[in-house]
Amino acid sequence: MTLPDPSQTARGTAASTSTPASAPLQPIEMRDVELTRGSRTVLSGLSLDVKAGEIYALLGGNGAGKSTTLSALLGFLTPTSGLIRVCGYDPAAEADAARRRTAYLPENVALYDLLTAHENIAYFMALAGAEPERAAIDAALDAAGLQREARDRRVSGYSKGMRQKVAIAMAVLRDVPVLLLDEPTSGLDPRATADFNALLGGLKARGTAILMVTHDLLGAADCADRIGFLAEGRIIEEVHPGEGIDVLALHHRYGERSAA
Amino acid sequence: MSALRLIAWNEWRLIRRSAVARAALFMLLALSAIAAFTSIAHRDESDALRARFQAQADAEFDGQPARHPHRMVHYGHFVFRPLPALAAFDPGVDAFTGSAIFLEGHRQNSANFGDVRQSSLLARFGQLTPAFVLQVLGPLVLVFIGFGTIARERESGTLRFLKAQGIAARTLLAGKALAIGGIAALLLLPALLSLGWLVLAEQAPLSGALLLAACYTAYLAFWVAAVVAASAIARDARSALMALLGLWALTTILMPRIAPDIALAATPLQTRLETDIAIHEDLRRIGDSHNPDDRHFAAFKAATLARYGVTSVEDLPVNYRGLLAMEGERITAQLFGEYAADQSSRQRRQGALATGFGLLSPAIALRSASMALAGTDLDGHQRFLDQAEVYRYAIVQGLNRLQAEAVTYADDGSRNKDPEAARRVRIDPRHWHDVPDFTYRAAPLAERVQAAAPGMALLLFWLIAGVFTLRFAARRIAEAL
Amino acid sequence: MSLLRQELRLFLRQRIALPALLLMLVLSAASVAVGLAEIARQHDVIARIQPKQAQDEGTVAAWAGKEGDAGNAAYYTFHATWDTPSPMAFVALGQRDVAPFVLRVRALALEGQIHENETYNAELALPGRFDWAFVLTYLAPLLLIALLHDLFSSEREAGRAVLLAVMARSQRSLWLRRIALRAGLLLLALLVPFVVGAAVSGTPGSQAALVGAIAAAYLLLWTLVCLAVSRWRQSSLANAASLASAWLAITLVLPGLALLAINSAIPVQQGIELTLAQREAVHAGWDKPKAATMQAFLRDHPEWKDKAAFAGGFHWKWYYAFQHLGDRAVDSKVAAYRAGLEARDAWTRRTGWILPSVGLQVAIHRLAQTDLAAQIAYQDRIRAFHAALRRFYYPYIFSETPFREADFAKAPRWRG
Repeated sequence: MTLPDPSQTARGTAASTSTPASAPLQPIEMRDVELTRGSRTVLSGLSLDVKAGEIYALLGGNGAGKSTTLSALLGFLTPTSGLIRVCGYDPAAEADAARRRTAYLPENVALYDLLTAHENIAYFMALAGAEPERAAIDAALDAAGLQREARDRRVSGYSKGMRQKVAIAMAVLRDVPVLLLDEPTSGLDPRATADFNALLGGLKARGTAILMVTHDLLGAADCADRIGFLAEGRIIEEVHPGEGIDVLALHHRYGERSAA
Repeated sequence: MSALRLIAWNEWRLIRRSAVARAALFMLLALSAIAAFTSIAHRDESDALRARFQAQADAEFDGQPARHPHRMVHYGHFVFRPLPALAAFDPGVDAFTGSAIFLEGHRQNSANFGDVRQSSLLARFGQLTPAFVLQVLGPLVLVFIGFGTIARERESGTLRFLKAQGIAARTLLAGKALAIGGIAALLLLPALLSLGWLVLAEQAPLSGALLLAACYTAYLAFWVAAVVAASAIARDARSALMALLGLWALTTILMPRIAPDIALAATPLQTRLETDIAIHEDLRRIGDSHNPDDRHFAAFKAATLARYGVTSVEDLPVNYRGLLAMEGERITAQLFGEYAADQSSRQRRQGALATGFGLLSPAIALRSASMALAGTDLDGHQRFLDQAEVYRYAIVQGLNRLQAEAVTYADDGSRNKDPEAARRVRIDPRHWHDVPDFTYRAAPLAERVQAAAPGMALLLFWLIAGVFTLRFAARRIAEAL
Repeated sequence: MSLLRQELRLFLRQRIALPALLLMLVLSAASVAVGLAEIARQHDVIARIQPKQAQDEGTVAAWAGKEGDAGNAAYYTFHATWDTPSPMAFVALGQRDVAPFVLRVRALALEGQIHENETYNAELALPGRFDWAFVLTYLAPLLLIALLHDLFSSEREAGRAVLLAVMARSQRSLWLRRIALRAGLLLLALLVPFVVGAAVSGTPGSQAALVGAIAAAYLLLWTLVCLAVSRWRQSSLANAASLASAWLAITLVLPGLALLAINSAIPVQQGIELTLAQREAVHAGWDKPKAATMQAFLRDHPEWKDKAAFAGGFHWKWYYAFQHLGDRAVDSKVAAYRAGLEARDAWTRRTGWILPSVGLQVAIHRLAQTDLAAQIAYQDRIRAFHAALRRFYYPYIFSETPFREADFAKAPRWRG
């Protein structure tokens, strides 16, 4: 699987060219983040950073704070204290600037049912300020693995996997420093998961900082450079799967954590 | 408890628990109450005012000093259209028609001082009366409360569950209709109370009030059926709401305004000014009493002389000027009658065409029936105009006869030169007392029912259409599950 | 392809978009057509009465001119007045269907003539006319609600809200673009027929532009209402219900309550009272001592004091004097009646500052000159015309100059 050359696909995503003054900055940076929703503390002292060209998998059970972390990085939630930076921008205060540098793949990709895959991508890319050529979109869809004959059909008949591929194509086209993934492989068959992981590898090679939220440890171990275990609103353990970690042992421990 | 009652009961419980439904119901009941109170007060006040003005006009007429009878013909009389008790429920065209007419010799004046010309543009927004609340707002509240009654059950999956419990689609729809119908009954309550009050305290005819109640019940029943059927047929609750709001806007807001425009274009009316000119023209053609050589009046003179067996008007036992006035009045009144009949038949045609649009809008059908039953439709006003004209003719001819019999021809001819003659032509004012006062006779129930019949027939049509739609919806639900 | 065109494609593919826009276009065009037809009819009536009126005057002139009695001429000649509709009247037909726009007056007491009604079918007038102002006031907001009620909520409900937020370079411009597109297209569908109608009727461009701006402001206001309701972050369904309730309150219920309040706070009964009083005053003239009547008249018209004398039981000088005095006797009642009407109108205008539907109707009817104020202005012109008629006839009557057939042509003419 090959990625299209970004310099020819997405014209002038301003974000990728201009970064705030003191580069090189950490693409994703969270320091001692506390966040409460109502009376409930969701994040309590969460610190985490993802470097350019790194895949970070955030694991945790239900209610551990995974989606809150994503929402905070996307600027939908404001932390009560601590610091969040996306390419140096505070996503809560400078939402547009931060989001311009962020691609996001939701767990359930919702598109415009009235538009085709091509039209959906063209529309969302236009919203992001880019006007990719049809060929570029096709290349991205090739990379994402969406069959050609489906691309000019309205997406109302698409399966979950097909929708996700459309969203992946958009993330590829965006070519921004940060990619946030919400349970990307849930609902994908093993073969599609393998393709997806390969695609992530390509993005990583391009220097994208990738943060994925998942509860699929085995999938994460396959592709992530680092895995952070999230419980009660902070990282309780971080491992590097590449360094000969016993995945089964991890699995055992992880199972205990999420049960706790 | 039967399944039907169980379903209705459960729906009521849901409605009771919904803040939106409670608020909508409360608002409507409050508006109904405000409308009923103000409308009754307004009716009483207007009617009392008109009665007071009528008494004043009667007293002023009776109190006129000794005068030449022809002076009284031009002094004329005012008559006022009393407001029927049921006008407090549906004032109909009362605000538009004017309630006072000045009656005088050889002129036909218009009824003046309708509220609408004395009000600002606000009057055209529609007046808040019990009839308006039920005609326009009632269906909307039913829509708001009921659009989700089945659609929501389908969206939440409970519909399947009910089906699994062995509840037939018909029973389900009947139960829902019963529940929404209960709400409709609640909406009707203030109106029924005000009708009851009008019957008990203000002598409104019981049968008219009952028929009104029946018409409004049928109307709301149609809407109950439409709401439940739409909720059952539509894809989802929002589609049901949109479709019902569209139906409501089309039938109660748009159609009632489009129908008159079509009726007006189909049958144009002459302006008053043109009618005036045409009547003058006809008068001159028939006979010009100013013209000594006029053929009609020459013939009249010859016939009169022959009838009394004399050779000159001076020899007549009666005042020829009075006879002339009576003949002139006879001719003008006949013309007035013809032109008025023409206008009124045109207006009737317009009305019939506009009411025909009741086939497309239950609100038009109801409005037509409601005004007719309340006695506040155009027919009611026309009745007043007709009676006023009969009364006008009677008093004018009575006064002309007085001129013929109580004033001598010689005095009449020299009244402007001879002060003694001028004194003698002023006859005793007791004659003014002898002129009977005007009493408006309202249409008997049979006539009002006849006038309301097209509207009521259309309502029946809508009710049947509603039932059929419900049955169709029941089949759809039964198939879909 | 520009973003706006993509948005347009997306919008137009929605099930409700095209039907709503087409409906707006059809309704607006139909109402403009109805308005233009009605105004054409009113012009026709005014044109149609001219020859009839001329013929009627000719007939009176033929016989009264022979006799040469100015009193007869003044008594039997009706003078036509008419109120030509403004070019803009097609937009808002207003009170012109229930108030006369052609009226004949004589040099007799005016108060018995000026309140005359037009013949019209009250049942047809009752629901109000289908004119462009109605479409704008009532139907345009409904269609706007249909287009805007799910602007945000539909994205939320479809699960696209987050993706949209992340993808859009600027949230603000995304939503502004969408709102502007929906409201703008609706406004366009509403305004295009109006602009055509304005061109057909010869409405001055500045006035048409003003009406366009008022319509845009009204729709903008409703757009803000839609946005305000969407802030509650309810479902599309709840939004639709809330907005429909707001529409109901603003266009039907609150104006109805305002009418109740205004009409009961400012009762206007002087209309009938003044006609009753005027009749008494005029007819009492017959029985009052003639010298007293003439004295009273001369206080008003001292210019005739040398020519006021007459002999005999009846003289036109005296007749027209007491006719005039009949009018004067109810001066204060006329003023009070008018003040009552104007007070009602003023309160309606004040209501318009709070209720946009009322404010819109007030503004458009003022521009179209079809409101109560226009009706009163027409009556004022009739009063001035009537005064001119009296000034015209008085010299003949008081100088006892013969009034010949040729003199009929010298009478003041109404300038429409």
